[in-house]
Amino acid sequence: MVRSLFNILSGRNTRQGLWGLPLLVALLISLWLTVETTQFATAENLFNLVAQAMPLIIAAIGQLVVVLIGGLDLSVGSVISFTTAVLALDQPAIVLIPAVFLLAAFIGLINGLAITRFNVHPIIATLSTQYIVLGITRILRPVSGGTVPEIVIDAVSGSFLGIPYPVFWGIVVILAAWKLLYGSRYGLHLFAIGGGIASGAESAARNFGVSDRRNIILAYVVCSCFAAVAGVFLAGRIVSGDPNVGLLFELDTVTAVALGGTQLSGGIGGLHGTVIGALVMALLANGMNLANVSPFVQTAIKGGILLAVVGLQSRKKMGL
Amino acid sequence: MAAVLANPITRRLLRIPPSYFVFLVLLATLWIARPNMLNLNIMGIFIRQIVPLGILVLGQLVVMRVKSIDLSGGGIILLINYFISSGSFPGASLPFFVMLALATGLVIGLFNGFMIGVRRVSAVIVTLAVSIILVGLVQFLSSGNPPGDVPKLFNDLYNTKFLSVPTPVLFWVLLTALVWLLLSRTVFGRYVASVGENAEAAHFSGVPVQRTVILAHTLAGLIAAIAALVQTGSIAVGSVRVGLDLPILAVAATILGGVVFGRGDGGVWGPFFGALCFALLFVVMTVLGIDEPGKLIAQGVIILGAAIFYGVRVRTP
Repeated sequence: MVRSLFNILSGRNTRQGLWGLPLLVALLISLWLTVETTQFATAENLFNLVAQAMPLIIAAIGQLVVVLIGGLDLSVGSVISFTTAVLALDQPAIVLIPAVFLLAAFIGLINGLAITRFNVHPIIATLSTQYIVLGITRILRPVSGGTVPEIVIDAVSGSFLGIPYPVFWGIVVILAAWKLLYGSRYGLHLFAIGGGIASGAESAARNFGVSDRRNIILAYVVCSCFAAVAGVFLAGRIVSGDPNVGLLFELDTVTAVALGGTQLSGGIGGLHGTVIGALVMALLANGMNLANVSPFVQTAIKGGILLAVVGLQSRKKMGL
Repeated sequence: MAAVLANPITRRLLRIPPSYFVFLVLLATLWIARPNMLNLNIMGIFIRQIVPLGILVLGQLVVMRVKSIDLSGGGIILLINYFISSGSFPGASLPFFVMLALATGLVIGLFNGFMIGVRRVSAVIVTLAVSIILVGLVQFLSSGNPPGDVPKLFNDLYNTKFLSVPTPVLFWVLLTALVWLLLSRTVFGRYVASVGENAEAAHFSGVPVQRTVILAHTLAGLIAAIAALVQTGSIAVGSVRVGLDLPILAVAATILGGVVFGRGDGGVWGPFFGALCFALLFVVMTVLGIDEPGKLIAQGVIILGAAIFYGVRVRTP
């Protein structure tokens, strides 16, 4: 009992990565905020917190899928901005919503094809699509504005039985991701490919008959689609298109994923860790806002956390 | 496809860094669209603007030769610009600022090198995080407003000409030649080449891999500091946004120059022309009336195109 608890806290003997410690951190921050401030432990603030954290949670789950195969998607932020810009195009929702996901899947497809077929490093491939998508977003919507279809706004702002819709978004997305990662053959393949890449035997999964190229391409498509879901959610929250709303999101998602104990070299990590990591980020933002910390310093602190968390991960590879 | 790639002529063509082709294409475009732009005075002004990028590219190519990357240049440039323009060192002389900038670059570069070489953290994450921290700090210290003015001496130096060629351009060419000598004529250059080719093999052949990576990043930090000084001279005011897109452009120019994580036949001059390409690209885009979003898209397409060009080249047996 004690031993297994220790193993969870130290992340030993597990493919889920180190997620016990972030959970402890999240609980400690919540405890501290409850004691220090009166506003924190109210139902209203907690629901607010969930709604604030939701885009990051959704996008971070997408990032997790890519990180598990040893990749990295830096285009997440621009896909989110792009989604809000497309949703605010003043077209009927029945056209816009499928279009958003098709476009996101297409961006993911380009990333995946460039990486697997043309041997481009994931960081370079996604960096360049980030710029292309950002440019297209700026053409569609140079400054924030426009109106998002009613149905998207309603889906985010309503409530059911006193529980706001964002909570249900969270449940649905996490269940879908759970099914994808742990309840499907695809999830198993992701871990197999990632484990091989992390240990330096990139053909390991292929030798067991797992089509690595197709699965890697699919991982980038899945990541972009999750980013699009986050974009739809954000569009409902801000009620307009905004070309800058996804700014720095790619780094926040990477921070959340790393904070949740997922190894950036691939193969080791888990959904619960990522969700916890995203929650810790949201709690920190919430706490720093309550403590009146300047937004610029908040950015710096986020960078520091990213640096510290990734600095503590051990990996064999040097460089990228 | 495979047959075309296996053709000896195609293979020889694929070995030439893409930057030379792009440079020629852009030059031809400009020559057709606006022939009167192509005189030494006008081009000198445009090329002069690209010098900070060109200098940053030199650092970028050294780290990319050892299969690493440095995206912290934006933060370094912003911080040094803040040091010079905020007036926190009243009455300081030019040598003092140069020393301060170099020390800053050295410390940040050393830190990057330590994290990447010793702690083995992903280079993208480290350098991006460092950049974010520095940008956040500078914006906090200046509360989001441009700090102040740069001592006049900086801009005066930047505006000088030598035999009708702007001095910054000469300085850039000189630095490029120095880095070229460093990489092709010294032991350190050999180390860089072998680490980039295969770090494991280099380690077993007695190459100090860790030290080489740390040194490469320190050098990149120093070069970024030099780029920051030139950039500060060029804009002549304090800014909280200056140079933030330069690291990405530097990566793009380096990839365009045929150096992609490890090998590179272009060496130093491929990326040199890569940076020149961006100077020309911005001229062409301005001439054709394409604004900011179009430039972003062009950057992305160029990076992706050059990387695919390289990827295809590696694939061929």
